[in-house]
Amino acid sequence: MGSSDSFVKFDKVDKSYDGEILVVKDLNVDIPKGEFLTMLGPSGSGKTTTLMMLAGFETPTGGEIYLDGEAINKIPPYKRGIGMVFQNYALFPHMTVNENLAFPLEVRKLSKSNIEEKVKKALGMVELEAFGSRMPLQLSGGQQQRVALARALVFEPRLVLMDEPLGALDKKLREQMQYEIKHIHEQIGITVVYVTHDQNEALTMSNRIAVFNDGKIQQISSPDILYEKPENAFVAQFIGENNQLKGKVKSINGKMCVVKTEKGEEIKSLKVNVNSIGDASTVSLRPERVEINSSDSSFENSFEAKVKELIYLGDHIRTRVEVCGNDQFIVKVPNSYKGANLKEGASVKLSWKASDSRALDLR
Amino acid sequence: MNQTASEPILTTDGIPLKVSLQKSERKNKIRAFLLVAPLLVFILVTFLIPIADMLVRSIDDRQINTVFPKTFEVYKKWDQQGLPSEELYETMFFEVKNSEGYDIGKASTRMNYSKSGWKSLLKKSKRKFKKIEEGPYKEQMIAAEKRWGDIDYWKALGVMVDPTTMGYYLNAVDLKFDSNKEIIRQKENRRIYNHTWIKTFKISFLVMFFCLILGYPISYLLATLPLKYSNLLMICVLLPFWTSLLVRTVAWMVMLQQKGVLNNLLVMSHVIADENRFQLMYNQTAVVIVMTQILLPFMVLPLYSVMKTIPPTYMRAALNLGASPLHAFWKVYMPNSVPGISAGCMLVFIIAIGYYITPELVGGKDGQMVGNWIAYHLKTTLNWGLCASLGAILLAVMTVLYWAYNKIVGIENIKLG
Amino acid sequence: MFKLIRATFLGLIAMAYASSAYADITFVSWGGAYTASQQKAYIDTWSKGSGVTVENYNGGLGEIKAQVEAGNVTWDVVDVLPDQAITGCDEGLFAKVDQSEFINDLVVPPVSDCVVPQIFWAYTAFYDKAAFPGKKPKRMKDFFDVKKFPGKRGIHTWANALIEMALVADGVKASKVYDVMSTPEGIDRAFAKLDTIKDHVVFWSAGSKPLELVSSGEVVMALAYNGRIGAAILSEGKDFEYIWDGTVLEQEYLVAIKGGNEAEALEFMAHASSAESNAEQAKYIPYGPMRKSSIGIIKKGEPWFITDSGNIDIMPHMPTDPKVLKRAIIADPFWWADNGAEVHERFGAWKGN
Repeated sequence: MGSSDSFVKFDKVDKSYDGEILVVKDLNVDIPKGEFLTMLGPSGSGKTTTLMMLAGFETPTGGEIYLDGEAINKIPPYKRGIGMVFQNYALFPHMTVNENLAFPLEVRKLSKSNIEEKVKKALGMVELEAFGSRMPLQLSGGQQQRVALARALVFEPRLVLMDEPLGALDKKLREQMQYEIKHIHEQIGITVVYVTHDQNEALTMSNRIAVFNDGKIQQISSPDILYEKPENAFVAQFIGENNQLKGKVKSINGKMCVVKTEKGEEIKSLKVNVNSIGDASTVSLRPERVEINSSDSSFENSFEAKVKELIYLGDHIRTRVEVCGNDQFIVKVPNSYKGANLKEGASVKLSWKASDSRALDLR
Repeated sequence: MNQTASEPILTTDGIPLKVSLQKSERKNKIRAFLLVAPLLVFILVTFLIPIADMLVRSIDDRQINTVFPKTFEVYKKWDQQGLPSEELYETMFFEVKNSEGYDIGKASTRMNYSKSGWKSLLKKSKRKFKKIEEGPYKEQMIAAEKRWGDIDYWKALGVMVDPTTMGYYLNAVDLKFDSNKEIIRQKENRRIYNHTWIKTFKISFLVMFFCLILGYPISYLLATLPLKYSNLLMICVLLPFWTSLLVRTVAWMVMLQQKGVLNNLLVMSHVIADENRFQLMYNQTAVVIVMTQILLPFMVLPLYSVMKTIPPTYMRAALNLGASPLHAFWKVYMPNSVPGISAGCMLVFIIAIGYYITPELVGGKDGQMVGNWIAYHLKTTLNWGLCASLGAILLAVMTVLYWAYNKIVGIENIKLG
Repeated sequence: MFKLIRATFLGLIAMAYASSAYADITFVSWGGAYTASQQKAYIDTWSKGSGVTVENYNGGLGEIKAQVEAGNVTWDVVDVLPDQAITGCDEGLFAKVDQSEFINDLVVPPVSDCVVPQIFWAYTAFYDKAAFPGKKPKRMKDFFDVKKFPGKRGIHTWANALIEMALVADGVKASKVYDVMSTPEGIDRAFAKLDTIKDHVVFWSAGSKPLELVSSGEVVMALAYNGRIGAAILSEGKDFEYIWDGTVLEQEYLVAIKGGNEAEALEFMAHASSAESNAEQAKYIPYGPMRKSSIGIIKKGEPWFITDSGNIDIMPHMPTDPKVLKRAIIADPFWWADNGAEVHERFGAWKGN
C-alpha cells in the first residue's frame, strides 16, 4: 500500500441507507497523490454519498476506504485531516473571516503568531487580504466561496473535498472561480476530489473525471478521452452533445463493426460496447464530426439527409436534419459561405468517418 | 460650488423637490396609517389603556378626598400632638353623618388599608351619630365609639390627605408612611412583599434555567431528526398545550405528593425508607417542577424554530476542520442558537414571573408568588391600588430586564421563528 | 376622558368574565355539590326556575366590582361570604333587600341590609378513625398537640378560622375568642400557637384536597369544610370523625347585584331564603340553615338527608346542632372586614418565613 497510484483508495465500497437500495455499488477507485479528480453525475447517482464517506460523515455499508495507505472507516471526521468546501460554503456566520480561517488552526493548538501568519497567507492566496475582519454575510457570494476555499486549505490538509462548491454562483463568476481553483490546485499540488453535476466544470478543471450513474462509475478517465471515447451510451450522452442512431449489429470485423438501422442504412462504426452480431446498439456520433456535402472520399459513412431546422448561433449554424430514421440529428455547420447556403427542406449529404461513430450499448 | 449647493433643487414644475416629494409621500403615509389603524386601536384599547389605568390606580387617592374634603382641610392644621381639636371632630362628625350613598363605604375600605379598624368604626359611627343632635361633639363621639379617642386612627389619616399617594408602592416593598409622612419599614411580622419578590424572581429564574437545560436537547433533536420522527416528538412536546392547566397541575400533585406515585416507587424499590419520603409537593420545589413542565413548550418552540434554520453543514464543517463534536457544538452550534435561547428565556421568564394558578395549587406554605398576592388583593380586600402598584413594579422590572438585555445581547438577536 | 377610559377598561374585564346567554336571571355560586344542592332545593322548586342560569365563580368581589363600575352587569344573584357581603353592600355593589320576613328567625343577625340568609358552613377538624387506633383526638387543642397525636396536619392557605382555632387550642373560651383577637397581643398569641404546628403542616387551597390528604394518609388530621366531610361520610362511606370542638362557623348569604335584573333577583332570593328552602337544602348537603325554623323542620322530618340507599339523620352532621354550637365559634365578619388584610399579610409572612 501507499504507492503513489493510490493515495485514496475505495475498495469494494457499498452504501445503503435503508437496507434495501444500494446508493453506491461496489465502488473501486484509486486516486493518485496530487490528482484533481471530479465525480460527475446526475443527482442521486451516488457521487455525493461517495464524497461524504470519504469525509467521514457517512459510513460505508461494505468495503473499505484507504487514505495514504490507512483504513479510515473507523476514524471520525475530525481526525481525518481532510479539508472540505461545502455546497453553501458553511462559513460560520458568527465569526469574522479571520476567525473562520483561524478555527481549524486553533483546534490544532497552533501558536497565535503562527495562526496569524497562516491566515494571512491563505487570505492572500484567494486575494482577500483586506477582508479579514468582515463577517461572512457582508461578503459577496464569490468572496464567500473564496473564504471557504481558503479555510479548507489553511490547515494544509492532505486532501481537499469539494461538494458542488460553485453551485450557488452565477455563470460568469462560476467560470472565473473554476480557473482560480484550477490554478490553486496547480500551485500547491494538493489532491482534490470534486463533486459536480456540471460537465463543463468537470471538463475545465479535472485531471480525471469519474462519471457516476445509478451508484456505479460508468467511466473514469481524462476529460479528452471521456469526450472523444465514451465507453457507453450513458457517458456519450451525458458528456457533451451527441447524436444517437439506433440499430442492430450486422457484422463484426476486428475493431470495427456494421450497425444496420431499422430502415436498412448500414453504419460503419468502431466496435466499443457490443459483443456479437444481432446485438442492439446505439451508435454515438459528435455533431462536429459530421460534414455536410463533403466531396472528400475518405469518409466511410455517407447518407442522404433532409434539413429540418436551422438555428443561427453566430459562429455556427445548428442544423437539425433527418437521417437514418433520426430526425433529431444535429450537425454543427461553420458559418462560412458553404453553410450560409443551406435551406430548410433541402436535401443534403452527410458524411463521417467510421472511427468517429462508436457502436455502444443500447440505452 | 457652494452657491449651487444651497439652492433647493426644483422639479420641472418649479416646485422644490422636497415639497413635491413630501406631497407624493403623504398619500402613501396616510394609506399605511389607515392599514395599521385597526391594530393600533385594538392595542390601545386592550393593552395601553389598561396599563395606563393600572398606573393611575397605583397612585390615585382622590376618592377619599371627595368624601372628607373639609375634614382634611382642618386636619392639616393639627400638630399631631395629643387628640385633635373639637373643630376637627366636628367636621368629621358632619361629613360622616351627612354622607350619602356608598362613598363613605368605599372611603372606609380605603382607610382600612392604612389602619385596620376604620371600616367598622365608620360603619358603626354612621349608625350611632344619628342620635347625636348637638355639640360639642368630641366627647359624644368618643362615648359612642371609644376608638375616636385613639390618636392612632387620627394619625393614620395623614397619609390620605394628598390626592396622589406613593403609599401603595411603599406597601408593595414592605415600607409605609408613618404619621409624619416619613418612610419607615413595615412592622416585622407584616413584611411579606420583599420576601415574595425575591422568591418570585428566584422561582422564575430556576424555571427558566431548567426549561433551558431540558428544552435545549429536545429542540436539538427536533431540529435534526428526520421529519417523521420529529413530528412525533413535537406532538409530545406540544401535548401539554392541549391539556388544561388545572389537569396538568393536579396530575403533578398525584405524582409528587408524599404518598404519591414517585415516592411510592422509591419506597417500593427501597431507595428511601417509608418514613423518609421526599417532600416534593406544596413547596417551592413543587412550584419549580410543575412550572418547568408547563412552560417547557415556550422554551422549545423558539429554540426549535431557530435551530431549524442552522444548516447541518455548520457542524459538519466544524468537524471537518478538526474540532471534536463537543468543541464544534460549543463554538459553532451553540453561538448560532443564541437568538433562540434568548427568546425562549425571555418568554419563559416573563410568563413565569406573573404565574399564579400553579403556585396557588402546589405552592403550599412557601411557594406563593407575587401573582398570588395580586389575586388576593384583587378579589378579597379590593385593594386595587396595591394590586396596581405590584403590577406596575412587575412591569418596570420586565422593562429594565428588557433594556439590560438589549444593552448586553442586542434585541435584534431575539428570534421567535 | 379618564372616566371613559376607565369604563372601557372595566367593561373589558367584565366582558371577560361574562359569558352568559340571555336568561331571566343569572345565579352565581361556588359550584360542585354545593351548587347542586342549591339547584335542587330552591332553583328547581321555584316557579320560574327554568329561567335561572347558573354560573360558578371562585369568590371575591373583583368580578362584581368590575361589572358594576363598568355598568355592564351580567350577574344577578351571587352567593357570597359575609365579609364580602359587608364590603359589597358598603360600596354599593349590592341592592338593598326587605329583611322583615326573616329578620327575627335568624341564628345571628344579618351582616348587612343587602343579604338574605343561606347557610352556615364550618371549618371543622376531622380525622380517619383508622389513623388513631388508640386514643382519639377530641378537642381543638389535640389538633395543635403534635406530641400527643404525632403526624401532619392539613390546613388551608389563608388565615380565616385558623386564628380563632389557635386561640381555642390555647385555652381561650369560644365565646371570648374575638375579645382576645381584638388586642394585638391576642393575635401574637394565636401566631405563637400556630408556630407549634408549623413544621407539621400541609397546606391546601382547594376544598376537595383535605379529604384526599386524610384518605391517602398524607396527613393524620385536617381542617375542611364540614359539608365536604359530611359528604365523604354520608355518600362515600368514609370512616371519618369530626372534632366539633373549636369549629368555626361561617355565614353564607345571597345578594342581588345592583344594576342587574333586580326585580326578579329579589323575587328569587325571597323564595331561596324561605324556611322551607333553607331546610330543603339540608337534604342534599350537610350545611346548617340560618333560620331557626328550618332546623325545626329538619328535626321533625328526620331522617332528612337523601342518599341512594335511603335517608339518614342529618343533625349529627350539622354545625348548627345546638350541642355543636355550644363549643363552636361563629366567625365575626366585621372583625375580618376590619383586620382581614393585615392578618392575612401576617399569615403570609408566617407561612413563607
